[in-house]
Amino acid sequence: MNSQPQDPTHRFTLSRRSLLRGSASILAAGIVAALCPTLSLAAIDGDIRTKFMQLSNLLINHELSPAVGGRIVETAERQYKNLPDMLDAIIKVAQSRNAIVVEDFFADIPDGELKDFAHWVIASWYSGCSSDKRDAIVFTYEEALTFKTTSDVITIPSYGISGPNLWTRPTVPLSAPMPRF
Amino acid sequence: MVAKTSADVVIVGTGVVGVVIAEQLLDAGHSVLMIEAGPRVTRAEVVENWRNAPLSVKGDTSVAYPPRPWAPHPTGAEKPEDAYLQLRGPDSYGQTFIRYAGGSTWHWAGTSWRMTPEDMRLNSLYGVGRDWAFDYDTLEPYYVRTENKLGICGPADPAQQWPARRSAPYPMPELPFSPGEVRFTEIAKTLGYNNIPVTQARNSGIPYDGRPACCANNNCVPVCPVAAKYDAETALNRLEKKGATILVDSVVYQVETNAQNKIEAVSYFDQHKQSHRISGKLFVLACNGLENPKLLLMSKNDRNPNGVANSSDQVGRNMMDHPQLTLTVTTKEPFWSGVGPVVNSGIMETSQGDFRSQHAGAYFRYNNFARNRFVTFAALKKGLVGKALDAEIRRMTACTADIVAAHEVLPDANNRLTLSEKTDWLGLPKPSIYYDVGDYTRRSAEVYSLPIAKRIAEAMGAIDVKISPKFNQSKHIMGGTIMGNDAATSVVDADCRAHDHENLFIPGGGAMASTACGNSTITMVALAIKAGDAIVSQMRGA
Repeated sequence: MNSQPQDPTHRFTLSRRSLLRGSASILAAGIVAALCPTLSLAAIDGDIRTKFMQLSNLLINHELSPAVGGRIVETAERQYKNLPDMLDAIIKVAQSRNAIVVEDFFADIPDGELKDFAHWVIASWYSGCSSDKRDAIVFTYEEALTFKTTSDVITIPSYGISGPNLWTRPTVPLSAPMPRF
Repeated sequence: MVAKTSADVVIVGTGVVGVVIAEQLLDAGHSVLMIEAGPRVTRAEVVENWRNAPLSVKGDTSVAYPPRPWAPHPTGAEKPEDAYLQLRGPDSYGQTFIRYAGGSTWHWAGTSWRMTPEDMRLNSLYGVGRDWAFDYDTLEPYYVRTENKLGICGPADPAQQWPARRSAPYPMPELPFSPGEVRFTEIAKTLGYNNIPVTQARNSGIPYDGRPACCANNNCVPVCPVAAKYDAETALNRLEKKGATILVDSVVYQVETNAQNKIEAVSYFDQHKQSHRISGKLFVLACNGLENPKLLLMSKNDRNPNGVANSSDQVGRNMMDHPQLTLTVTTKEPFWSGVGPVVNSGIMETSQGDFRSQHAGAYFRYNNFARNRFVTFAALKKGLVGKALDAEIRRMTACTADIVAAHEVLPDANNRLTLSEKTDWLGLPKPSIYYDVGDYTRRSAEVYSLPIAKRIAEAMGAIDVKISPKFNQSKHIMGGTIMGNDAATSVVDADCRAHDHENLFIPGGGAMASTACGNSTITMVALAIKAGDAIVSQMRGA
């Protein structure tokens, strides 16, 4: 090919590889920090990560990816100044109700900041993004829980689950069991 | 390496029109140099861009194809005042196209409806619009060649074909319907309408032209991850093997004429704002129906004071599209949109009839995009959690659907592209477009298309229907370099040759004298192949 040089600004794409590399670096930093008591801030972050996954599992009663959770909590730490207090407060509500599933305690989370945060956590896992805005931070695409609710029927776009001309199976009724995820 | 600065034929643009003509010329033994404004990227890069975009903006194709500063194209992120397209008038001529090697077939749906004989004789039959410079039977062999070139699948049963008047079978059978499409077809039948398979540039059941069979990734727009859908990028390597030179990141800004008013050269800026000149014997402008008129207008000179190829003052006028209205329906029973390719069937017979003397026809389609990205945030905003949230997302994904009514428009000289005073990164003028879909189309929505669409929604068992409040464009750019036999009222002749310049061809959607209701790409390519034949013949005599 006789072409002009490549884009000189190198700023147009964020590859999955670079995204994962970044995530791996963050995870590695957390592990290192947890092993080194002098890095108190990082150690606190590790504690927050653990509590964030604990809270996420209370709010969402499905299998949750720690890697995705790690990306969500990174944004939560930036977005919510009092994140540690909110995590503790909502977990405390759940524990006080001996909650096993979200329906056991969600209504008891006080309206306002705490409930809004709980909704944000749920939305992050289901949409895979930090918001419905154009500048949202993407935590995951194919692991967003919205796709799990329809995985018995619907392809995650660009990840075909069918084969050549093999998409004619009968329509699944709404009463069919929810996919397990 | 010494950069090549001339060729027998210089083609501006590497979209489907450009690559089809390039291959014809290469096969005929001519040297070809193609010039592309934007970058050349891999399919994997486009797919990753799209997957890494936020869920709420995945409908904006520009997230998969971010424009380069030197080659802007419309994006959903632009403020109107800063937008590449400066839009004016009562309706928005909002377009989606990309300036990348391979052009906008990267993100087309692959829908390939032919025009009908009647679509090409609107003035003779109904007293509106323009007739084409030739009839359907003249175009028909080029449709056949297009269907074989792009790999367009379609039914063998004439009752399922649009139109049935054809001289050869499709190279592949139609794609099967999803269960939801089967149900929609049954419902349409109860109203007397035939929902037939879309003829589409997607490999049906078998590989074709070195590309794999469609396996229902449901991601035809904005990119087929496996190239089962034809896009022009898939042809670029083959063209290079045949000897084509392809320049990328090179923005043509001027078409130069000589003393005989033939085209002598084109000039382009590279991404470092350096100017280069490419000469040739014959030139093809194939940079889409919007960039072509912009370039012609930018190229005005003493011999062509209104712009190159514009002695008729028709360059940039008659901008057309398929204005569409969408009904988002919520049903009791699940249709499960998203199983199979994104557009797989349509009702075309509603585009025809004597009513066209009074108002536009319309084509109806059931959009088969997976609904998760459309419904997830709406479900979340209901405040549900746990099993109730899961069930609501599942219900909304299964039980909502978009029914689209796409209309024809008439050519109107007032619907016009001009050069804005605002400029882009290179200092080139942005396109400014005035647009009004017109009473002919508005009347259709009032008395014809929306009443039909509402009946379809009702028959689907809709418990809620939301209708788009205004016309949106289908991103089918037509008309800006309109074809005709009269040089006083048109820009190009029946071979898409500029009336004013014997060695300049401007094939594609800009030449179309009527829109019909079906998607325009197959007709653009048929015109390109017809132009390619004319160019080969002209070069032979040169």
